[in-house]
Amino acid sequence: MIRILLLDDEPNILTALKRLLREEDWLIDTFTRAEEALDALQAHRYGVIVSDYQMPGMDGVTYLQFARQRQPDAIRLILSAHGDRQSMINAINRAEIYRFLSKPWEDYEIQAAIRSAVDLYRVKVENRELLAEIHRQKDLLRLREEELMRLETENPGITRVARDADGSIIIDESA
Amino acid sequence: MTDTPSQVSSELPSRELSERLEQANRQLLQSEKMAAIGQLAAGVAHEINNPVGYVYSNLQSLGTYLTDLFRLTDAVDTAQSLEDLRQIRKSIDYDFLRGDLEDLLAESREGIERVKTIIAAMKDFSHTEEEEFRMADLHRGIETTLNVVNNELKYKAEVVKDFGNVPEIECIISQLNQVIMNLLVNAAHAIESTGTITIRTRTAEGQVLIEVEDTGKGIEAANLNRIFDPFFTTKPVGKGTGLGLSLSFNIVEKHHGEITATSTPGKGTCFRIRLPVQQPDIGIR
Repeated sequence: MIRILLLDDEPNILTALKRLLREEDWLIDTFTRAEEALDALQAHRYGVIVSDYQMPGMDGVTYLQFARQRQPDAIRLILSAHGDRQSMINAINRAEIYRFLSKPWEDYEIQAAIRSAVDLYRVKVENRELLAEIHRQKDLLRLREEELMRLETENPGITRVARDADGSIIIDESA
Repeated sequence: MTDTPSQVSSELPSRELSERLEQANRQLLQSEKMAAIGQLAAGVAHEINNPVGYVYSNLQSLGTYLTDLFRLTDAVDTAQSLEDLRQIRKSIDYDFLRGDLEDLLAESREGIERVKTIIAAMKDFSHTEEEEFRMADLHRGIETTLNVVNNELKYKAEVVKDFGNVPEIECIISQLNQVIMNLLVNAAHAIESTGTITIRTRTAEGQVLIEVEDTGKGIEAANLNRIFDPFFTTKPVGKGTGLGLSLSFNIVEKHHGEITATSTPGKGTCFRIRLPVQQPDIGIR
């Protein structure tokens, strides 16, 4: 099941977000302190991480930078009451965020943003799994080819045995 | 006949001259106040956007909840049996809705209260009509000011309120608020990462003391005796007008009080204001 991390120093923001995500089939963890949200990154794998921008202690961009190192697959979003240019530039350049959402918000904006972040996360993970699968299959193929080569050098012609319809070996006298 | 300044004064009655000076001073004070509020505006917007954010979102959730609840109440007429109603009640997660509705309303009310407090503080703070000396509660003034500048402080410092037993004093509270605001914002600017700002009030020898102390970077001795000079600032261009402390000095002087600063570079700064409880020349005015 997809796990979502929400971080905001304002608990009422977190409950409002939980309400609007209630219908979704995700596990939702909420934190009011960045330090605790950092620890949570050790405990669980997250698909999407949504953080406030300005918080006492660690700010959202710094937190997401850590999150990026620890869980590079998780999709990062910022939900901020600050709409200024500099905070957006920091969020994009330093934390490589997927969306910058502002407070106050329309519920459907948040729902749509997190949903597409979840999709993106799934695609990312699936992509990597497929890539790993291809590598595995390539390795297997290489091993088989090597085995065939070995057999061929030891018993020339053994890889080119022809059989007829009932499976018996055809010995070509002309060869 | 001497030079121009005295010439002017000989042409204009001195009372008119001092009235003009008084008016110029008032305008300067007002524009500094507005400039300060302008600088705070971004912070206040942030402070308001948070509660508005969740209240607005809660209202949208409330809409969804009500749609669900109406499905149940509308079914009272159409349902075949009580069992059908129970089914609907279960499908809309009625128990959750019931419990959460209370929280939703309580949290939203709290959010609106916060916006109200901030707006009221801004209004209190920018009062222009209140230019007369009257008895006022300093602590209330400090709380108002804290509400206005909260956003400038809360990410930098823990604010400790150490309030003593202080009587109401005769003052222009909006002007004293402005002094406190200047000191608080300066204190926050002096703190580089995080620190503590202490606001202390005391009564001593029939006078009232207000102290604003920070654990910031401090002021060098060479600058310390210039901080109350007009246009003196160590802040980068565009950050400070250089008028904040100079106007604060004028305000305190007008109140027949005294403002002083002590500072240890690297340790912090403490501003101390001493104010009389009653203005001495009350009978004359």
